[in-house]
Amino acid sequence: MTDMAEIFNTLLELFPYAMMGGITAGIICGFLGVFVVSQRVIFLGAALTQAAIAGVAFSFLHLINLESMLASLFGIPSVENSFLHHFEHTFFSLLFAVIAVFVFSQSFKQKYLTTDSLLGFIFVIAIAARIIFIQKSPIAEVSEIEAILKGDILFIGAGEFYTLLTILIIVVSIFTLFSKQLRFVTFDTETAAAHGLNNKFWLLFFYLTVGIGISLTTRFVGDVFSFAFLIIPASIAIMVARSVISVFIISVLIGGIIPPLAIFIAFELDVSSGPTAVIVAFIVFLTAYLAKKIRMR
Amino acid sequence: MSKRIIKFISVSTGYGHTVIHSDINITIEKNDFIGIVGPNGAGKTTFLKTLLGGLKPLAGKIEKENLVFGYVPQRDTVQPILPYTVHDVVMMGRYPQLGLFKLPSLDDKKRVAECLERVGILNLEPSIYNSLSGGQRQRTLIARALVSKPDVLILDEPTNGMDTPSHHALLTLIEDLHKTYQLTVLLVSHLLSDVANLVKRLILFEKGSLQFGTIEELLSEEKLGQTYSANIKVKKVDGEYLISSKYND
Repeated sequence: MTDMAEIFNTLLELFPYAMMGGITAGIICGFLGVFVVSQRVIFLGAALTQAAIAGVAFSFLHLINLESMLASLFGIPSVENSFLHHFEHTFFSLLFAVIAVFVFSQSFKQKYLTTDSLLGFIFVIAIAARIIFIQKSPIAEVSEIEAILKGDILFIGAGEFYTLLTILIIVVSIFTLFSKQLRFVTFDTETAAAHGLNNKFWLLFFYLTVGIGISLTTRFVGDVFSFAFLIIPASIAIMVARSVISVFIISVLIGGIIPPLAIFIAFELDVSSGPTAVIVAFIVFLTAYLAKKIRMR
Repeated sequence: MSKRIIKFISVSTGYGHTVIHSDINITIEKNDFIGIVGPNGAGKTTFLKTLLGGLKPLAGKIEKENLVFGYVPQRDTVQPILPYTVHDVVMMGRYPQLGLFKLPSLDDKKRVAECLERVGILNLEPSIYNSLSGGQRQRTLIARALVSKPDVLILDEPTNGMDTPSHHALLTLIEDLHKTYQLTVLLVSHLLSDVANLVKRLILFEKGSLQFGTIEELLSEEKLGQTYSANIKVKKVDGEYLISSKYND
Protein backbone atom coordinates (compact mmCIF):
# COMPACT_ATOMS: atom_id res chain seq x y z
CA MET A 1 0.00 0.00 0.00
CA THR A 2 2.82 2.36 0.97
CA ASP A 3 4.64 1.39 -2.25
CA MET A 4 1.59 2.25 -4.29
CA ALA A 5 1.26 5.64 -2.60
CA GLU A 6 4.94 6.28 -3.19
CA ILE A 7 4.65 5.43 -6.89
CA PHE A 8 1.61 7.70 -7.16
CA ASN A 9 3.51 10.53 -5.47
CA THR A 10 6.48 10.02 -7.77
CA LEU A 11 4.19 10.05 -10.82
CA LEU A 12 2.50 13.20 -9.57
CA GLU A 13 5.87 14.87 -9.12
CA LEU A 14 7.20 13.70 -12.49
CA PHE A 15 4.05 14.16 -14.57
CA PRO A 16 1.70 16.56 -12.73
CA TYR A 17 0.14 17.91 -15.91
CA ALA A 18 -0.13 14.44 -17.45
CA MET A 19 -2.15 13.31 -14.42
CA MET A 20 -4.41 16.37 -14.37
CA GLY A 21 -4.62 16.51 -18.18
CA GLY A 22 -5.56 12.81 -18.33
CA ILE A 23 -8.34 13.41 -15.80
CA THR A 24 -9.59 16.46 -17.72
CA ALA A 25 -9.49 14.66 -21.09
CA GLY A 26 -11.36 11.71 -19.54
CA ILE A 27 -14.02 14.05 -18.15
CA ILE A 28 -14.45 15.86 -21.51
CA CYS A 29 -14.85 12.57 -23.39
CA GLY A 30 -17.11 11.09 -20.69
CA PHE A 31 -19.34 14.17 -20.84
CA LEU A 32 -19.52 14.39 -24.65
CA GLY A 33 -19.86 10.60 -24.86
CA VAL A 34 -23.33 10.77 -23.28
CA PHE A 35 -24.46 12.88 -26.24
CA VAL A 36 -22.68 10.72 -28.84
CA VAL A 37 -23.93 7.38 -27.44
CA SER A 38 -27.50 8.56 -26.78
CA GLN A 39 -27.70 10.01 -30.32
CA ARG A 40 -26.63 6.62 -31.71
CA VAL A 41 -23.73 8.25 -33.60
CA ILE A 42 -20.81 6.43 -31.95
CA PHE A 43 -19.04 6.24 -35.29
CA LEU A 44 -19.05 10.05 -35.33
CA GLY A 45 -16.45 9.86 -32.54
CA ALA A 46 -14.22 7.63 -34.67
CA ALA A 47 -14.68 9.81 -37.76
CA LEU A 48 -13.95 13.04 -35.86
CA THR A 49 -10.82 11.69 -34.18
CA GLN A 50 -9.47 10.65 -37.60
CA ALA A 51 -10.43 14.01 -39.14
CA ALA A 52 -8.61 15.80 -36.31
CA ILE A 53 -5.48 13.70 -36.86
CA ALA A 54 -5.64 14.36 -40.61
CA GLY A 55 -5.73 18.08 -39.74
CA VAL A 56 -2.55 17.79 -37.67
CA ALA A 57 -0.89 15.82 -40.51
CA PHE A 58 -1.91 18.59 -42.93
CA SER A 59 -0.19 21.16 -40.73
CA PHE A 60 3.11 19.28 -41.28
CA LEU A 61 2.94 20.13 -44.99
CA HIS A 62 3.48 23.78 -44.02
CA LEU A 63 1.45 24.93 -47.02
CA ILE A 64 0.06 27.83 -45.02
CA ASN A 65 2.51 29.16 -42.47
CA LEU A 66 0.12 30.43 -39.81
CA GLU A 67 2.92 30.48 -37.24
CA SER A 68 4.90 33.16 -39.15
CA MET A 69 1.74 35.04 -40.11
CA LEU A 70 0.63 35.35 -36.47
CA ALA A 71 4.16 36.09 -35.30
CA SER A 72 4.52 39.01 -37.70
CA LEU A 73 0.97 40.19 -36.98
CA PHE A 74 1.53 40.40 -33.22
CA GLY A 75 5.30 41.07 -33.39
CA ILE A 76 6.23 37.91 -31.42
CA PRO A 77 9.43 35.93 -32.05
CA SER A 78 7.86 32.65 -33.20
CA VAL A 79 10.80 30.32 -32.45
CA GLU A 80 10.66 30.88 -28.70
CA ASN A 81 6.88 30.99 -28.40
CA SER A 82 5.40 27.61 -27.44
CA PHE A 83 1.81 28.79 -28.08
CA LEU A 84 2.65 29.69 -31.67
CA HIS A 85 4.64 26.51 -32.07
CA HIS A 86 1.54 24.39 -31.33
CA PHE A 87 -1.02 26.75 -32.83
CA GLU A 88 -0.78 25.45 -36.38
CA HIS A 89 -1.33 21.78 -35.43
CA THR A 90 -4.23 22.66 -33.16
CA PHE A 91 -5.80 25.06 -35.67
CA PHE A 92 -5.82 22.53 -38.51
CA SER A 93 -6.97 19.72 -36.25
CA LEU A 94 -9.93 21.90 -35.26
CA LEU A 95 -10.57 23.03 -38.84
CA PHE A 96 -10.68 19.48 -40.20
CA ALA A 97 -13.03 18.34 -37.40
CA VAL A 98 -15.36 21.29 -38.06
CA ILE A 99 -15.39 20.50 -41.80
CA ALA A 100 -16.17 16.86 -40.93
CA VAL A 101 -19.14 17.99 -38.78
CA PHE A 102 -20.47 20.15 -41.63
CA VAL A 103 -20.19 17.21 -44.04
CA PHE A 104 -21.89 14.95 -41.49
CA SER A 105 -24.69 17.51 -41.03
CA GLN A 106 -25.64 16.98 -44.69
CA SER A 107 -27.12 13.64 -43.63
CA PHE A 108 -30.05 15.63 -42.13
CA LYS A 109 -30.78 17.18 -45.52
CA GLN A 110 -30.59 14.37 -48.05
CA LYS A 111 -31.92 10.85 -48.38
CA TYR A 112 -29.44 9.17 -50.73
CA LEU A 113 -26.79 8.44 -48.09
CA THR A 114 -27.34 7.08 -44.59
CA THR A 115 -25.66 8.69 -41.58
CA ASP A 116 -23.46 5.61 -41.23
CA SER A 117 -22.31 5.77 -44.85
CA LEU A 118 -21.46 9.44 -44.54
CA LEU A 119 -19.44 8.80 -41.37
CA GLY A 120 -17.70 5.91 -43.14
CA PHE A 121 -16.68 8.26 -45.95
CA ILE A 122 -15.28 10.82 -43.50
CA PHE A 123 -13.42 8.07 -41.61
CA VAL A 124 -11.64 6.47 -44.58
CA ILE A 125 -10.96 9.72 -46.41
CA ALA A 126 -9.41 11.20 -43.25
CA ILE A 127 -7.12 8.17 -42.88
CA ALA A 128 -6.14 8.22 -46.57
CA ALA A 129 -5.50 11.97 -46.45
CA ARG A 130 -3.36 11.56 -43.32
CA ILE A 131 -1.14 8.96 -45.02
CA ILE A 132 -0.65 11.18 -48.07
CA PHE A 133 0.02 14.31 -45.97
CA ILE A 134 2.68 12.46 -43.96
CA GLN A 135 4.35 11.06 -47.10
CA LYS A 136 4.51 14.54 -48.62
CA SER A 137 5.67 16.23 -45.43
CA PRO A 138 9.09 17.92 -45.63
CA ILE A 139 9.95 16.41 -42.22
CA ALA A 140 11.92 13.23 -42.89
CA GLU A 141 10.93 10.89 -40.04
CA VAL A 142 7.48 9.46 -40.66
CA SER A 143 7.47 7.61 -37.33
CA GLU A 144 8.24 10.85 -35.51
CA ILE A 145 5.24 12.56 -37.14
CA GLU A 146 3.02 9.55 -36.41
CA ALA A 147 4.02 9.78 -32.73
CA ILE A 148 3.07 13.48 -32.63
CA LEU A 149 -0.18 12.78 -34.46
CA LYS A 150 -1.21 10.07 -32.04
CA GLY A 151 -0.68 12.16 -28.93
CA ASP A 152 0.20 10.74 -25.50
CA ILE A 153 -1.15 11.44 -22.03
CA LEU A 154 2.40 11.50 -20.58
CA PHE A 155 3.44 14.33 -22.91
CA ILE A 156 0.70 16.67 -21.63
CA GLY A 157 2.39 19.82 -20.39
CA ALA A 158 1.07 22.99 -18.72
CA GLY A 159 -0.11 24.50 -22.04
CA GLU A 160 -1.99 21.37 -23.08
CA PHE A 161 -3.56 21.00 -19.63
CA TYR A 162 -4.89 24.57 -19.57
CA THR A 163 -6.21 24.16 -23.12
CA LEU A 164 -8.05 20.99 -22.06
CA LEU A 165 -9.42 22.77 -18.98
CA THR A 166 -10.70 25.61 -21.19
CA ILE A 167 -12.36 23.09 -23.54
CA LEU A 168 -14.01 21.39 -20.57
CA ILE A 169 -15.42 24.67 -19.26
CA ILE A 170 -16.69 25.69 -22.72
CA VAL A 171 -18.27 22.32 -23.48
CA VAL A 172 -20.00 21.97 -20.10
CA SER A 173 -21.19 25.60 -20.22
CA ILE A 174 -22.70 25.19 -23.70
CA PHE A 175 -24.45 21.92 -22.87
CA THR A 176 -25.76 23.29 -19.56
CA LEU A 177 -26.85 26.66 -20.91
CA PHE A 178 -28.76 25.10 -23.78
CA SER A 179 -29.83 21.92 -22.01
CA LYS A 180 -33.53 22.51 -22.83
CA GLN A 181 -32.87 22.66 -26.56
CA LEU A 182 -30.43 19.76 -26.29
CA ARG A 183 -32.96 17.55 -24.52
CA PHE A 184 -35.83 18.25 -26.89
CA VAL A 185 -33.99 18.01 -30.23
CA THR A 186 -32.11 14.87 -29.22
CA PHE A 187 -35.15 13.18 -27.66
CA ASP A 188 -37.55 13.81 -30.53
CA THR A 189 -36.27 15.94 -33.41
CA GLU A 190 -39.52 15.81 -35.38
CA THR A 191 -41.72 17.12 -32.56
CA ALA A 192 -39.14 19.72 -31.50
CA ALA A 193 -39.36 21.13 -35.03
CA ALA A 194 -43.17 20.97 -35.00
CA HIS A 195 -43.18 22.91 -31.71
CA GLY A 196 -41.08 25.69 -33.21
CA LEU A 197 -37.46 24.77 -32.40
CA ASN A 198 -35.00 25.06 -35.26
CA ASN A 199 -33.83 21.46 -34.96
CA LYS A 200 -31.31 21.61 -37.82
CA PHE A 201 -29.57 24.62 -36.30
CA TRP A 202 -29.48 23.16 -32.79
CA LEU A 203 -28.24 19.73 -33.92
CA LEU A 204 -25.48 21.36 -35.98
CA PHE A 205 -24.57 23.57 -33.00
CA PHE A 206 -24.27 20.58 -30.62
CA TYR A 207 -22.37 18.49 -33.17
CA LEU A 208 -19.96 21.39 -33.72
CA THR A 209 -19.37 21.62 -29.96
CA VAL A 210 -18.72 17.87 -29.87
CA GLY A 211 -16.41 18.20 -32.91
CA ILE A 212 -14.36 20.97 -31.27
CA GLY A 213 -14.15 19.04 -27.99
CA ILE A 214 -13.11 15.78 -29.63
CA SER A 215 -10.59 17.30 -32.04
CA LEU A 216 -8.68 19.15 -29.32
CA THR A 217 -8.76 16.22 -26.92
CA THR A 218 -7.53 13.88 -29.66
CA ARG A 219 -4.72 16.30 -30.43
CA PHE A 220 -3.34 15.89 -26.87
CA VAL A 221 -4.24 12.36 -25.78
CA GLY A 222 -4.54 10.44 -29.05
CA ASP A 223 -7.35 8.91 -31.08
CA VAL A 224 -7.55 5.57 -29.27
CA PHE A 225 -8.00 7.19 -25.85
CA SER A 226 -10.49 9.80 -27.11
CA PHE A 227 -12.66 7.35 -29.03
CA ALA A 228 -12.67 4.77 -26.24
CA PHE A 229 -13.54 7.35 -23.60
CA LEU A 230 -16.36 8.69 -25.74
CA ILE A 231 -18.00 5.26 -25.76
CA ILE A 232 -17.09 3.31 -22.64
CA PRO A 233 -17.88 5.65 -19.68
CA ALA A 234 -21.17 6.77 -21.27
CA SER A 235 -22.18 3.17 -22.02
CA ILE A 236 -21.50 2.13 -18.41
CA ALA A 237 -23.43 5.16 -17.11
CA ILE A 238 -26.45 4.50 -19.34
CA MET A 239 -26.45 0.87 -18.18
CA VAL A 240 -26.47 1.63 -14.45
CA ALA A 241 -27.99 5.11 -13.98
CA ARG A 242 -31.65 5.78 -13.25
CA SER A 243 -31.88 9.43 -14.25
CA VAL A 244 -30.40 11.60 -16.99
CA ILE A 245 -28.37 13.70 -14.55
CA SER A 246 -26.87 10.57 -12.96
CA VAL A 247 -25.88 9.31 -16.44
CA PHE A 248 -23.75 12.46 -16.86
CA ILE A 249 -22.32 12.25 -13.32
CA ILE A 250 -21.36 8.56 -13.57
CA SER A 251 -19.90 8.96 -17.07
CA VAL A 252 -17.79 11.96 -16.02
CA LEU A 253 -16.62 10.19 -12.82
CA ILE A 254 -15.53 7.08 -14.72
CA GLY A 255 -13.88 9.25 -17.38
CA GLY A 256 -11.97 11.17 -14.71
CA ILE A 257 -10.93 8.32 -12.41
CA ILE A 258 -9.53 5.84 -14.94
CA PRO A 259 -6.70 7.92 -16.55
CA PRO A 260 -4.56 8.42 -13.38
CA LEU A 261 -5.14 4.77 -12.47
CA ALA A 262 -4.07 3.78 -15.99
CA ILE A 263 -0.92 5.92 -15.77
CA PHE A 264 -0.06 4.10 -12.55
CA ILE A 265 -0.67 0.64 -14.08
CA ALA A 266 1.21 1.61 -17.26
CA PHE A 267 4.16 2.73 -15.13
CA GLU A 268 4.13 -0.55 -13.18
CA LEU A 269 3.88 -2.72 -16.31
CA ASP A 270 6.10 -0.48 -18.47
CA VAL A 271 3.51 -0.09 -21.23
CA SER A 272 1.85 2.91 -22.94
CA SER A 273 -0.63 4.83 -20.82
CA GLY A 274 -3.27 5.53 -23.53
CA PRO A 275 -3.98 1.89 -24.48
CA THR A 276 -3.78 0.90 -20.77
CA ALA A 277 -6.52 3.44 -19.99
CA VAL A 278 -8.68 1.88 -22.70
CA ILE A 279 -8.19 -1.66 -21.34
CA VAL A 280 -8.92 -0.52 -17.76
CA ALA A 281 -12.08 1.25 -18.95
CA PHE A 282 -13.16 -1.90 -20.76
CA ILE A 283 -12.59 -4.02 -17.62
CA VAL A 284 -14.79 -1.58 -15.66
CA PHE A 285 -17.45 -1.87 -18.39
CA LEU A 286 -17.30 -5.68 -18.31
CA THR A 287 -17.60 -5.71 -14.52
CA ALA A 288 -20.61 -3.37 -14.61
CA TYR A 289 -22.21 -5.43 -17.38
CA LEU A 290 -21.78 -8.73 -15.53
CA ALA A 291 -22.99 -7.19 -12.24
CA LYS A 292 -26.10 -5.91 -14.03
CA LYS A 293 -26.70 -9.33 -15.62
CA ILE A 294 -26.39 -11.12 -12.27
CA ARG A 295 -28.68 -8.61 -10.54
CA MET A 296 -31.33 -8.98 -13.26
CA ARG A 297 -31.57 -12.77 -12.69
CA MET B 1 -70.05 29.97 -38.43
CA SER B 2 -66.75 28.95 -36.78
CA LYS B 3 -63.63 31.03 -37.16
CA ARG B 4 -61.31 29.97 -39.98
CA ILE B 5 -57.86 29.39 -38.53
CA ILE B 6 -55.93 27.64 -41.32
CA LYS B 7 -56.34 28.28 -45.01
CA PHE B 8 -54.48 26.47 -47.81
CA ILE B 9 -54.57 28.67 -50.91
CA SER B 10 -53.57 26.84 -54.10
CA VAL B 11 -50.82 25.05 -52.21
CA SER B 12 -48.48 22.52 -53.82
CA THR B 13 -46.65 20.13 -51.50
CA GLY B 14 -43.54 18.07 -52.22
CA TYR B 15 -39.77 17.77 -51.89
CA GLY B 16 -37.24 19.64 -54.01
CA HIS B 17 -38.66 19.63 -57.54
CA THR B 18 -41.04 16.71 -56.91
CA VAL B 19 -44.63 17.85 -56.54
CA ILE B 20 -46.76 15.37 -54.56
CA HIS B 21 -50.04 17.30 -54.44
CA SER B 22 -50.91 20.51 -56.22
CA ASP B 23 -53.62 23.14 -55.99
CA ILE B 24 -54.73 22.25 -52.45
CA ASN B 25 -57.51 24.55 -51.25
CA ILE B 26 -58.60 23.63 -47.75
CA THR B 27 -60.03 25.68 -44.90
CA ILE B 28 -59.78 24.41 -41.33
CA GLU B 29 -62.03 26.00 -38.72
CA LYS B 30 -61.68 26.40 -34.97
CA ASN B 31 -62.94 23.31 -33.11
CA ASP B 32 -62.76 21.28 -36.32
CA PHE B 33 -62.07 17.55 -36.03
CA ILE B 34 -60.47 16.29 -39.21
CA GLY B 35 -59.33 12.82 -40.13
CA ILE B 36 -56.40 12.46 -42.50
CA VAL B 37 -56.50 9.08 -44.22
CA GLY B 38 -55.03 7.39 -47.24
CA PRO B 39 -52.68 4.58 -48.21
CA ASN B 40 -48.96 4.63 -47.37
CA GLY B 41 -46.95 6.93 -49.63
CA ALA B 42 -49.98 9.02 -50.58
CA GLY B 43 -48.45 12.18 -49.11
CA LYS B 44 -50.01 12.47 -45.63
CA THR B 45 -46.66 13.11 -43.92
CA THR B 46 -45.60 15.66 -46.55
CA PHE B 47 -48.91 17.45 -46.04
CA LEU B 48 -48.38 17.54 -42.25
CA LYS B 49 -44.77 18.71 -42.55
CA THR B 50 -45.88 21.50 -44.87
CA LEU B 51 -48.63 22.54 -42.47
CA LEU B 52 -46.19 22.54 -39.52
CA GLY B 53 -43.60 24.59 -41.43
CA GLY B 54 -40.97 21.84 -41.74
CA LEU B 55 -41.37 21.98 -45.52
CA LYS B 56 -42.06 25.09 -47.58
CA PRO B 57 -45.01 24.93 -49.96
CA LEU B 58 -43.75 24.55 -53.54
CA ALA B 59 -46.50 26.94 -54.64
CA GLY B 60 -49.35 28.89 -53.05
CA LYS B 61 -49.53 29.88 -49.40
CA ILE B 62 -50.84 28.69 -46.05
CA GLU B 63 -52.51 31.27 -43.81
CA LYS B 64 -52.26 30.32 -40.13
CA GLU B 65 -52.41 33.23 -37.75
CA ASN B 66 -49.97 32.73 -34.81
CA LEU B 67 -51.25 29.27 -34.04
CA VAL B 68 -49.61 27.02 -31.47
CA PHE B 69 -49.41 23.44 -32.71
CA GLY B 70 -49.27 20.45 -30.39
CA TYR B 71 -47.79 17.52 -32.27
CA VAL B 72 -47.95 13.87 -31.24
CA PRO B 73 -45.56 11.79 -33.37
CA GLN B 74 -45.79 8.09 -34.06
CA ARG B 75 -44.82 6.39 -30.81
CA ASP B 76 -42.17 4.15 -32.38
CA THR B 77 -40.16 7.14 -33.59
CA VAL B 78 -39.45 8.14 -29.97
CA GLN B 79 -37.10 5.59 -28.43
CA PRO B 80 -34.65 7.35 -26.16
CA ILE B 81 -31.53 5.66 -24.81
CA LEU B 82 -31.34 8.03 -21.83
CA PRO B 83 -33.61 7.34 -18.82
CA TYR B 84 -35.94 10.35 -19.16
CA THR B 85 -38.85 10.42 -16.70
CA VAL B 86 -42.44 11.05 -17.79
CA HIS B 87 -42.14 14.50 -16.14
CA ASP B 88 -39.01 15.26 -18.22
CA VAL B 89 -40.73 14.25 -21.45
CA VAL B 90 -43.88 16.29 -20.84
CA MET B 91 -41.87 19.33 -19.72
CA MET B 92 -40.14 19.35 -23.12
CA GLY B 93 -43.44 20.63 -24.56
CA ARG B 94 -42.96 23.84 -22.55
CA TYR B 95 -39.38 24.48 -23.68
CA PRO B 96 -40.11 26.40 -26.92
CA GLN B 97 -42.28 28.83 -24.94
CA LEU B 98 -39.69 29.38 -22.19
CA GLY B 99 -37.20 31.19 -24.42
CA LEU B 100 -33.47 30.61 -24.76
CA PHE B 101 -32.18 30.59 -21.18
CA LYS B 102 -35.18 30.54 -18.79
CA LEU B 103 -35.62 27.46 -16.62
CA PRO B 104 -39.05 25.86 -15.98
CA SER B 105 -40.93 27.61 -13.16
CA LEU B 106 -43.29 26.22 -10.54
CA ASP B 107 -46.19 27.15 -12.85
CA ASP B 108 -44.66 25.09 -15.64
CA LYS B 109 -44.35 22.12 -13.28
CA LYS B 110 -47.99 22.55 -12.22
CA ARG B 111 -49.01 22.66 -15.87
CA VAL B 112 -47.15 19.38 -16.50
CA ALA B 113 -49.00 17.75 -13.59
CA GLU B 114 -52.36 19.09 -14.85
CA CYS B 115 -51.79 17.66 -18.33
CA LEU B 116 -50.71 14.30 -16.94
CA GLU B 117 -53.85 14.24 -14.82
CA ARG B 118 -55.93 15.12 -17.87
CA VAL B 119 -54.61 12.12 -19.79
CA GLY B 120 -54.95 9.89 -16.72
CA ILE B 121 -51.33 9.10 -15.88
CA LEU B 122 -50.41 11.55 -13.10
CA ASN B 123 -49.28 8.59 -10.98
CA LEU B 124 -46.60 7.83 -13.61
CA GLU B 125 -44.94 11.27 -13.42
CA PRO B 126 -41.68 9.98 -11.83
CA SER B 127 -41.57 6.78 -13.93
CA ILE B 128 -38.98 6.21 -16.62
CA TYR B 129 -40.51 6.73 -20.09
CA ASN B 130 -38.80 3.62 -21.49
CA SER B 131 -40.45 1.41 -18.86
CA LEU B 132 -44.02 2.37 -19.90
CA SER B 133 -46.47 0.36 -21.99
CA GLY B 134 -47.40 1.53 -25.49
CA GLY B 135 -50.65 3.14 -24.33
CA GLN B 136 -48.93 4.94 -21.44
CA ARG B 137 -46.22 6.26 -23.76
CA GLN B 138 -48.85 7.55 -26.16
CA ARG B 139 -50.63 9.34 -23.31
CA THR B 140 -47.29 10.86 -22.23
CA LEU B 141 -46.75 12.21 -25.75
CA ILE B 142 -50.30 13.61 -25.82
CA ALA B 143 -49.68 15.31 -22.44
CA ARG B 144 -46.49 16.81 -23.90
CA ALA B 145 -48.49 18.22 -26.81
CA LEU B 146 -51.15 19.62 -24.44
CA VAL B 147 -48.64 21.29 -22.13
CA SER B 148 -47.88 23.88 -24.81
CA LYS B 149 -51.58 24.98 -24.67
CA PRO B 150 -52.04 24.28 -28.38
CA ASP B 151 -54.70 25.71 -30.68
CA VAL B 152 -54.35 22.72 -32.96
CA LEU B 153 -53.56 19.16 -31.87
CA ILE B 154 -52.06 16.91 -34.54
CA LEU B 155 -51.81 13.18 -33.88
CA ASP B 156 -49.92 10.88 -36.25
CA GLU B 157 -51.22 7.29 -36.12
CA PRO B 158 -51.80 7.40 -32.33
CA THR B 159 -53.36 3.94 -32.05
CA ASN B 160 -50.76 2.06 -34.09
CA GLY B 161 -49.81 -1.29 -32.55
CA MET B 162 -52.13 -1.02 -29.55
CA ASP B 163 -54.35 -3.72 -28.09
CA THR B 164 -58.12 -3.23 -28.45
CA PRO B 165 -58.91 -1.82 -24.96
CA SER B 166 -56.01 0.69 -25.08
CA HIS B 167 -56.96 1.56 -28.65
CA HIS B 168 -60.55 2.48 -27.72
CA ALA B 169 -59.52 4.21 -24.49
CA LEU B 170 -57.15 6.43 -26.46
CA LEU B 171 -59.73 7.35 -29.10
CA THR B 172 -62.17 8.22 -26.28
CA LEU B 173 -59.50 10.44 -24.70
CA ILE B 174 -58.86 12.25 -28.02
CA GLU B 175 -62.59 12.85 -28.52
CA ASP B 176 -62.87 14.07 -24.94
CA LEU B 177 -59.97 16.52 -25.39
CA HIS B 178 -61.59 17.85 -28.55
CA LYS B 179 -64.90 18.45 -26.76
CA THR B 180 -63.57 19.73 -23.41
CA TYR B 181 -60.95 22.16 -24.72
CA GLN B 182 -62.70 22.91 -28.02
CA LEU B 183 -59.43 21.86 -29.59
CA THR B 184 -59.00 21.70 -33.31
CA VAL B 185 -57.79 18.15 -33.93
CA LEU B 186 -56.12 16.63 -36.99
CA LEU B 187 -55.95 12.86 -36.66
CA VAL B 188 -53.83 10.84 -39.07
CA SER B 189 -54.77 7.18 -39.27
CA HIS B 190 -54.71 4.34 -41.73
CA LEU B 191 -57.68 2.76 -39.92
CA LEU B 192 -60.66 4.23 -41.72
CA SER B 193 -63.18 2.87 -39.22
CA ASP B 194 -61.39 4.69 -36.36
CA VAL B 195 -61.54 7.99 -38.14
CA ALA B 196 -65.00 7.59 -39.66
CA ASN B 197 -66.74 7.30 -36.30
CA LEU B 198 -64.82 10.07 -34.62
CA VAL B 199 -64.16 13.02 -36.90
CA LYS B 200 -66.39 15.61 -38.55
CA ARG B 201 -64.51 15.95 -41.82
CA LEU B 202 -62.01 13.95 -43.83
CA ILE B 203 -59.01 14.60 -46.01
CA LEU B 204 -58.75 11.52 -48.18
CA PHE B 205 -55.32 11.19 -49.75
CA GLU B 206 -54.68 9.36 -53.00
CA LYS B 207 -51.47 9.28 -54.99
CA GLY B 208 -51.38 12.64 -56.75
CA SER B 209 -54.70 13.98 -55.48
CA LEU B 210 -56.79 14.49 -52.36
CA GLN B 211 -60.42 15.01 -51.47
CA PHE B 212 -61.76 17.12 -48.64
CA GLY B 213 -65.28 16.98 -47.29
CA THR B 214 -67.63 15.67 -44.64
CA ILE B 215 -67.78 12.00 -43.68
CA GLU B 216 -71.08 11.58 -45.54
CA GLU B 217 -69.62 13.08 -48.69
CA LEU B 218 -66.48 10.98 -48.78
CA LEU B 219 -67.35 7.62 -47.25
CA SER B 220 -68.75 5.99 -50.32
CA GLU B 221 -67.66 2.57 -51.53
CA GLU B 222 -66.80 4.05 -54.90
CA LYS B 223 -64.50 6.79 -53.54
CA LEU B 224 -62.75 4.53 -51.02
CA GLY B 225 -62.33 1.80 -53.60
CA GLN B 226 -60.67 4.31 -55.90
CA THR B 227 -58.39 5.59 -53.11
CA TYR B 228 -57.22 2.20 -51.82
CA SER B 229 -57.44 0.37 -55.19
CA ALA B 230 -59.54 -2.35 -53.50
CA ASN B 231 -63.13 -3.45 -53.14
CA ILE B 232 -64.32 -1.77 -49.97
CA LYS B 233 -67.70 -2.15 -48.29
CA VAL B 234 -69.19 0.65 -46.16
CA LYS B 235 -72.10 -0.21 -43.81
CA LYS B 236 -73.80 1.88 -41.13
CA VAL B 237 -74.92 -0.17 -38.10
CA ASP B 238 -76.55 1.62 -35.12
CA GLY B 239 -75.20 4.94 -36.36
CA GLU B 240 -71.60 3.62 -36.59
CA TYR B 241 -69.68 3.10 -39.80
CA LEU B 242 -68.28 -0.37 -40.47
CA ILE B 243 -65.68 -0.43 -43.21
CA SER B 244 -64.28 -3.68 -44.50
CA SER B 245 -62.88 -5.38 -47.55
CA LYS B 246 -65.59 -7.06 -49.62
CA TYR B 247 -63.54 -10.27 -49.53
CA ASN B 248 -63.84 -10.38 -45.71
CA ASP B 249 -67.60 -10.21 -45.82
